[in-house]
Amino acid sequence: MSHKERLLILLAEDDDGHASLIRRNLKRAGVINDVVRVRDGQEALDYLEEMRRKGMQEANTPLLILLDINMPRVGGLDVLRQVKSDPQTSLIPVIMLTTTDDPREVHRCYESGCSVYLTKPVQYEQFVEAIKRLGLFLEIIKAPTAAVGQAPPE
Amino acid sequence: MLERLKTLGGLTVPGSQVPLSVATAGLLEVAEDAIVTIDEQHRIVLFNRGAEKTFGYAREEVIGQELSLLLPERFRATHRAQVEEFAQGPTVARLMGERRNVYGRRKDGSEFPADVSISKMTVEGKLYLTAVVRDVTERHRAREAILQLNSELEQRVADRTAALVETNRQLLRKTEENETFVYSVSHDLRSPLVNLEGFSKELRITADELRRLLGDPAVPADIRDRADRLIAVEMQESLDFIEAAVFRLGRIIDALLRLSRIGRVQYHWQVVDVRSIVERVVQALHVTLTRNHADVRIVSDLPPAWGDPTAIEQVFANLINNAVKYLDPSRPGRVEIGFTSRETGPGGEYFVRDNGMGIAENHLPQLFQAFRRLHPQVAEGEGMGLAIVHRIVDRHGGHVRVESQVGRGSTFYVSFPGSEKEGGPP
Repeated sequence: MSHKERLLILLAEDDDGHASLIRRNLKRAGVINDVVRVRDGQEALDYLEEMRRKGMQEANTPLLILLDINMPRVGGLDVLRQVKSDPQTSLIPVIMLTTTDDPREVHRCYESGCSVYLTKPVQYEQFVEAIKRLGLFLEIIKAPTAAVGQAPPE
Repeated sequence: MLERLKTLGGLTVPGSQVPLSVATAGLLEVAEDAIVTIDEQHRIVLFNRGAEKTFGYAREEVIGQELSLLLPERFRATHRAQVEEFAQGPTVARLMGERRNVYGRRKDGSEFPADVSISKMTVEGKLYLTAVVRDVTERHRAREAILQLNSELEQRVADRTAALVETNRQLLRKTEENETFVYSVSHDLRSPLVNLEGFSKELRITADELRRLLGDPAVPADIRDRADRLIAVEMQESLDFIEAAVFRLGRIIDALLRLSRIGRVQYHWQVVDVRSIVERVVQALHVTLTRNHADVRIVSDLPPAWGDPTAIEQVFANLINNAVKYLDPSRPGRVEIGFTSRETGPGGEYFVRDNGMGIAENHLPQLFQAFRRLHPQVAEGEGMGLAIVHRIVDRHGGHVRVESQVGRGSTFYVSFPGSEKEGGPP
């Protein structure tokens, strides 16, 4: 992945309240990257498609994707599968967000290649924990000021 | 009569050589059955009153006539051959019922099914054959009627069975629809619940920040005190109630999801080692049992069952947990798990018996419904345990029932009647 572009977090979440709670807790977890919020899975796929069309260099490349599982039109699991099957996006870590801890759903998510599975409402401690598990991104996320132009260390 | 007897000539009863007596002639005349004797040329030499009634001929009309007169045309040729064969053969008598589908022909040309016995005797070197012919039209009709009734009955049984199967199928589909409905509704309820839970936490965080702000010396003391009170008392109480409600709602939604999952989850049918499952459940309860001084033991052989091992474990876990939960603290608790064969028929029931508080009779009808809690003060829970047991046993085609006495204890019985041979729920 090139490090020149603006790194941001893509959040696909249909519920405004949930989206607000996630933003607040990401901020508390020390994540200062921009969060681009889309309202369903189709919009998420459209965003990624746009990014691909413009080329990775110019696009706002997500460094992390947060996917709600239950969304209208295209659900989170379908987005996850598409992201993971495309070599251009398959390396982007994906955190799945859901309202249940149904073990079969958890299993399906990990099977489809998600990095972390979180049950809503997500507290900032869980975000901290999840970001730690994603390891290599922690430092950029912890960068002190604006995310614009921030490059992750090699 | 004497005139008639003359027709019989010197007939004698075989073996005895006794001439046909008046008594014998009398017997012939009162017999209901048709009795017909023919000579070697198949000519009729004896035709009793029963024969007159059966065939509709007067005696005078048939004496000296060929026997074939009394047979339907289509049988005449073969019948003659059969009679010859019998006449030449070693058999002395052939009784009714040994031959099927014999028909007689009446004077008016109508046919009737007949039972026929024949015998042969030789008098003065001449062979005579005597047939006793019984018109079995009535019996045939009765048999036809019975067959007809039988097949109607079978049809009705088949119809009812099909209707039952259909009703069952509809019920099953209804149950599945309900479970899907419950599943999607409780799933949808979680979304607003997440907001309630999340934003009440946000409010607490905001309250903390407000309190910090109020610590600023620029804030007048009386304002700070009033604001502090608002935050610490009013806001705190509101948040406590919201959070308690959220917690309770969450529990209910979880319980609903759990119950709907019980009905939807895919089963892996296999022979299940019930004994080791029960041992595992009891082992998991070890700490509770030691604390409560409760004695839980397996009191009989626990045969394997056909079903889903996870589901069957849930059944025993719920029943045994309940038994332990609702023991009577005033006496040493005792829980027994066993198996009892049914008095009639195959299969049997597993039971979990306790000497606990027991269940009042008026509570029994709703016992297996969801969200029914009989002793909310004794133990916490959503009242899902027995509803889950009921649903699982139901999916296994079995039954669950309870016998209970307040102050004495309860015994829960469950059956899993399926078998490996059938390969699924019965």
